[in-house]
Amino acid sequence: MDFKDYYAVLGVSESASPEEIKKSYRKLARKYHPDVSKEDNADEKFKDLGEAYEVLKDPEKRGEYDQLRKYGAQADGSFQPPPGWQSESGFGRGGYTDADSSQFSDFFEQMFGGGQGAGRGAGGGFRQNVRMRGEDVRARLPLFLEEVFNGCEKQVSFTVHEADEQGRIVARQKTLKVKIPVGMREGQHLRLKGQGSPGIGGGAPGDLLIEVELARHPLFSIEGRDVVVTVPVAPWEAALGATITVPTVDSKVNVKVPKGTSSGRKLRLKGKGLPGKHPGDQMVIIQIVMPEQHSAEAEKLYEQLAEAEKAFDPRSKLHL
Amino acid sequence: MSDKNSILTVEVMDSDGSTFTLHEVCERGECHAEFVIKLVSYGIITPVEPVAEARQWLFDVAALARLHKARRLQRDLKMNLPGLAMSLELLDEVQDMRKEVDRLSRQLQQLTGEW
Repeated sequence: MDFKDYYAVLGVSESASPEEIKKSYRKLARKYHPDVSKEDNADEKFKDLGEAYEVLKDPEKRGEYDQLRKYGAQADGSFQPPPGWQSESGFGRGGYTDADSSQFSDFFEQMFGGGQGAGRGAGGGFRQNVRMRGEDVRARLPLFLEEVFNGCEKQVSFTVHEADEQGRIVARQKTLKVKIPVGMREGQHLRLKGQGSPGIGGGAPGDLLIEVELARHPLFSIEGRDVVVTVPVAPWEAALGATITVPTVDSKVNVKVPKGTSSGRKLRLKGKGLPGKHPGDQMVIIQIVMPEQHSAEAEKLYEQLAEAEKAFDPRSKLHL
Repeated sequence: MSDKNSILTVEVMDSDGSTFTLHEVCERGECHAEFVIKLVSYGIITPVEPVAEARQWLFDVAALARLHKARRLQRDLKMNLPGLAMSLELLDEVQDMRKEVDRLSRQLQQLTGEW
């Protein structure tokens, strides 16, 4: 079993006062709250914080933990509780506080969870006559743009909580194959009725709610229902007009660049955006690019061009 | 137990799609109607149709997700309602800005040829 250094988790020293521990916990809880933080492992960190604080805020548990910390460390860096270890601090008898201890680590469970009977979950299980709807379970599902365009089948794994025979709440991993319809947008939800946690005492099961995320695409970005792509053109194509080939998500199309197009101009391809009842458009942003080197002939032609277009002041807006 | 091989049809939930009654929202959000009514009065969530009678309120899935978020923030960070209302607004704003920054920096990269 891995040892959990609760002091390190909270970023305090062993000799920290209860006040310091509380302060540090509050600060880190704000920082790593999964609804606030954008760090990848915020969920994990926040859980660890809760667990560490649960132990260190209580003088009795902290004392026990300090002892464990001192005597439980093995030479090879692993951790074993001292022989005959039994928590005295009330956790073992199902006296959990308001913290959601089912989320805590195996280390916590072993040290403070107590032996027979109590286990995980809120003190001793549910009575038979309780009837409760199962909880809704949320999952996130990243999709590639191509999958959004064509629809796809995806395997979704998630954790449900259900009561075992003794009425204790246990976590169970569930995997489902799900058909994702065409044209999902970022932040949209899919509901799978009855696939959440089972109800208790004959209550209805909860739903699985899947929130769709869009993976970043190397060429295309998404704005609402529109697909946006930047397409480079040569200066003469922009000046004279040209028909160019432009990529779309599932194929390519020919697009007419009008004569005299400036860099940054947007061309709209109707109906080539996200598919659906009201399909979006594809926006093509024109970008004028230069060859890395010009031939002597081209330079001569540019000189002629400069002479012919003398009246054009590209910096007129700068009031120089 | 897990029906790994069955392909399930799903229901797409739009803001113009499925709605939940006050009762359903309370059940799913594991909270009292009073809490939902307070969230509405602080403008943290809004019913689809702004009718006066709470019993007739219907909420979309976004409101339900926001209710869950509000409950977590309240529980974990011990926030009161005005604090919740303000943080959720600021979090929305931060999220919008992050998206905008991301979008603009990509566009800029493409326009300056750094892609």
